[in-house]
Amino acid sequence: MEFSEHIKTANVEDVVLQQPLHPPSKGTLCITSHHLLFSDREEDSGRQVLLLLRNIDAVEKRATESSGTLVIKCKDLRVLQLEIPGMEQCLNIAQSIETLSCLACVAEMYPFFYRPSNASLRDQWGLSTPERHYTEMEALHERWRLSTVNQDYSVCPSYPPAVIVPKAIGDDALKMAAKFRQGGRFPVLCYYHRKNGMVILRSSQPLTGANRKRCIQDELLLQAAIEGSDKGYIIDTRSAQQAQQARMMGGGFESKSCYSSWKRLHRHMERGKTLQESLIKLVEACGDKSPNMDRWLSKLENSKWLSHVQTALSTAGLLAECVERDGRSVLVHGSEGTGSTLLISTLAQLIMDPSCRTLEGFLTLLEREFVQAGHPFQQRCSHSAFSHARLQQECPVFLLLLDCVWQLWYQFPLALGFSEALLLRLATEAYSSDYGTFLCNSDMERCALQVKGKTHCLFRVLLKPREREQYTNPLYEPNELAIWPSVHPQSLQLWRGFFLRWTQQTLHLELVQEDIRNMVIEWGKLALS
Amino acid sequence: MASPVSVYNSNVLDAHISSTSRESLKMELLADVTLLPGEERIIDKDIIYICPFSGAVKGKVLITNYRLYFKSSDADVAVTLDVPLGTISRVEKMGGVSSRGENSYGLDITCKDMRNLRFALKQEGHSRRDIFELLFKHAFPISHGLPLFAYVTQEKYEENGWSVYRPVEELRRQNYELCDTYPAVLAVPFKCKEEDLRRVASFRSRGRIPVLSWIHRENRAAIARCSQPLVGMSGKRNKDDERYLDLIRDANDTAKLTIYDARPNVNAVANKATGGGYEGDEYHNAELVFLDIHNIHVMRESLKKLKDIVYPNVEESHWLSSLESTHWLEHIKLVLSGAIQVADKVSSGNSVVVHCSDGWDRTAQLTSLAMLMLDSHYRTLKGLQVLIEKEWISFGHKFTSRIGHGDKNHADQDRSPIFVQFMDCVWQMSKQFPTAFEFNERLLLTILEHLYSCRFGTFLYNCESAREQNALRQKTVSLWSLVNSKTDVYLNPFYTPESGRVLYPVASMRHLELWVTYYIRWNPRIRQQQSPVEQRYLELLALRDEYIKKLEELRLSDSSRLADDSPGADTSSPSPASSPTRQRHYTHLHTPF
Repeated sequence: MEFSEHIKTANVEDVVLQQPLHPPSKGTLCITSHHLLFSDREEDSGRQVLLLLRNIDAVEKRATESSGTLVIKCKDLRVLQLEIPGMEQCLNIAQSIETLSCLACVAEMYPFFYRPSNASLRDQWGLSTPERHYTEMEALHERWRLSTVNQDYSVCPSYPPAVIVPKAIGDDALKMAAKFRQGGRFPVLCYYHRKNGMVILRSSQPLTGANRKRCIQDELLLQAAIEGSDKGYIIDTRSAQQAQQARMMGGGFESKSCYSSWKRLHRHMERGKTLQESLIKLVEACGDKSPNMDRWLSKLENSKWLSHVQTALSTAGLLAECVERDGRSVLVHGSEGTGSTLLISTLAQLIMDPSCRTLEGFLTLLEREFVQAGHPFQQRCSHSAFSHARLQQECPVFLLLLDCVWQLWYQFPLALGFSEALLLRLATEAYSSDYGTFLCNSDMERCALQVKGKTHCLFRVLLKPREREQYTNPLYEPNELAIWPSVHPQSLQLWRGFFLRWTQQTLHLELVQEDIRNMVIEWGKLALS
Repeated sequence: MASPVSVYNSNVLDAHISSTSRESLKMELLADVTLLPGEERIIDKDIIYICPFSGAVKGKVLITNYRLYFKSSDADVAVTLDVPLGTISRVEKMGGVSSRGENSYGLDITCKDMRNLRFALKQEGHSRRDIFELLFKHAFPISHGLPLFAYVTQEKYEENGWSVYRPVEELRRQNYELCDTYPAVLAVPFKCKEEDLRRVASFRSRGRIPVLSWIHRENRAAIARCSQPLVGMSGKRNKDDERYLDLIRDANDTAKLTIYDARPNVNAVANKATGGGYEGDEYHNAELVFLDIHNIHVMRESLKKLKDIVYPNVEESHWLSSLESTHWLEHIKLVLSGAIQVADKVSSGNSVVVHCSDGWDRTAQLTSLAMLMLDSHYRTLKGLQVLIEKEWISFGHKFTSRIGHGDKNHADQDRSPIFVQFMDCVWQMSKQFPTAFEFNERLLLTILEHLYSCRFGTFLYNCESAREQNALRQKTVSLWSLVNSKTDVYLNPFYTPESGRVLYPVASMRHLELWVTYYIRWNPRIRQQQSPVEQRYLELLALRDEYIKKLEELRLSDSSRLADDSPGADTSSPSPASSPTRQRHYTHLHTPF
């Protein structure tokens, strides 16, 4: 595609920009293939606003005869307003934004064009690999192996090329088991609990269907996973009723008779459209400009966002409890195994495993459990809360994860090595980014587009010394114990830093956090020198 | 609860041990209670505590003249209660000798601090009679002609908290001397004779004439506080009062004096029927603003509703809308936004007068919060003490009536959590400005604990004259003695003094939070990670002190080196006292209220 086809008006003078936390300013608006650039006319003000078009979730036009107003609503929840002289120009700009903000072709997106001077495309991409993950966990080598059965992505298109499976199960059996699981997502190991040798496995639902099909290889695989123990748990992120209904559609669940060593626990987690609509309601309530903000708490409650946070944290708590307190291995799945499954396996690891709570550990966890594990970022994050487009497969699972992590951070101010600023950065980057990290839906797609060779890696950048300092938690103290979150509604808070981000008060608190971090760093440097 | 950091007089301690029964010391379960000097055992007993969180817990209860202490005998359920008797508002018998059902016979104790305690006893042999009677007597000493514990305790501290607030010094700190007109208003009537002042007093409810609370260092704008004018149905006027207010306005050339009436407009009108009212048009050069804050009864009922949804069980399914229906946060919002308006007016150079009906509840909230916003001194550990001593204690917030110290009359309509609400507002501000306050949350919680405990004299009596009559300062210990003898635990390591800065909190529902660590602190499932955080804060304080010390050393060695090189050279090292990391200049938050 030629980007220029879509840019009828590239420059407009005398545009008035209104943005949160700043007085209105007049200047030049410029539209490029990936950016909207506004430069303040006052030369010495030097103010520029550079916005990735991808960040724009919705454009609303209000035209009069001589000029037009565009209200630009971003995926990072910022709302900007542009007053553009000349109706035609205004419509042209709107048209360009509408087209260029929703490019369908991944290879045309900005990460493929972003070339910062201080980085090279030959730099290492990513923090770890399944191979490294396996090598590092020597304790499990006795019973688990790294299988490359999915090397060419033919067994499971959404899995990485290498996965960890029971040693006793051969690749042929894996292929059979994959055929029995939706999308080929056969059970694989995602976490090994050092304290007691228990593991977390994840998969998608078994395709038992209405006539209760079985797959002996799948049963053997699960049996091998808990060898030496008499029982394991399956946490199904659907209600028992939903799981029953799924059978009618060809899906299903592990029946007691075929998986006799496994005990199923159903926990209903909302997914898909319901979550997306909850986000929309919440953002709407947060943006309510009416002065008395009538019934704010009721609106907050009605959005149900915090109850989704509660369910996610309590299901993750249940998972961690099974592993840490009951000493059982657990298989987690819902239907596809790419949303709520990953959400709770990630949270449970943060709760139990201190090595996930450092900055590096947390990013590695996200890379492994969300990016490599095949969370379809492309589909889930193509729009956010403002879009007028018909919802397709959007769903804020990743945002919900970050919110849950923030709740942990809020309840355990010393336990996590990273700051709220990191979570905010990730919440923004997942929806629109200079980096290739959150592009595509799976490793296979990223491989086909050579994302690793043609874009830069966000996680790597976040660990560079200067950024790293910005994202550390000054109060952090490594702690070997599990951190059990309180999930009562009284203990959960609205993540104001994100949802009320563009308000004076939130900005002020962000700056204070920064001050505190700098203070502690400075004290440490001198006092301990 | 914090153990006292007192300097024990060994004689007192010995005497204390011999006077309390040896038997109580033999009781292993209760052996770890450290009694305060002067505290004496009244009774102890095997009892069952009906814990709302862990069920029925067997153990022993000890009642002294200061506290109710319970410890479980079952090591698996470690439950300890340590409740100052002053916290108790009501003691009732639960069930009768013939009541059926397990643990149906016992005591039901309602506390002033958001909890209830239920104990069960054996049904035979009138087993609760003695404990009920003794508890009733000692929990409500005033109703039984006994002294409050503050008059009994023998505690000694290194610091003397009674010397924290000295009115004249405090006025001097505000540059009061430089203001040539204000002494007139506070101490000696300006131009007008005693007699004129008396006439003003006769026109203000309970004689509470407008007096100076605070004065702005630079623009000389003042906050004055008083009670409502006695306008009545007939619309009485008082020339002296009008002139008096005009003098306040005139003191710094304020064009229009703003009178903040804390009440909702309708309530102010209704007060006319009982002889009160508000300032009308006859007050030239004055504007009247109503702040819509409700009265003590509304606040009491609101907190009661809040208690209903957090104790013993927390509301789970509709928490936020239930919280909304208590209106507690709404009241907090109105108090804060009223104070913001006062502060904003004063900082832009206009003098204000604040009153409600009697001028000792809402008025105290508004003036003290406005002062906290305007004057960074009050945000220090000592400053908050001064603020409380001044705006609350000396200006006659009726602590005895509002709390009901030692009084059995639990349904007294005069009781109301006005001071708790003020502390909540302070907490909200400290959440919004994490580096602006020298003290931490622990201080606020400690103050609220001793608001009820009657261990210290600080919150006793309704006014200064009652304190004088009862020789309070001679016979009791101040809470600030406890606090100032060991300040570490009350300090915020991130405190960054900024003397000129006015703090405007955001008084919007969106940015207010329920103070969970206070209101829901009894629920072990809700409690947040308090102690590790406090521990970490202490470490950080030590680190900060080390940093300041090193900085000072560097500065000294620098200046001596510079002195060697070029005598008299000015050193530009940062001052160690103010945290030098802070370079940023805040744009003051301008407030939507």
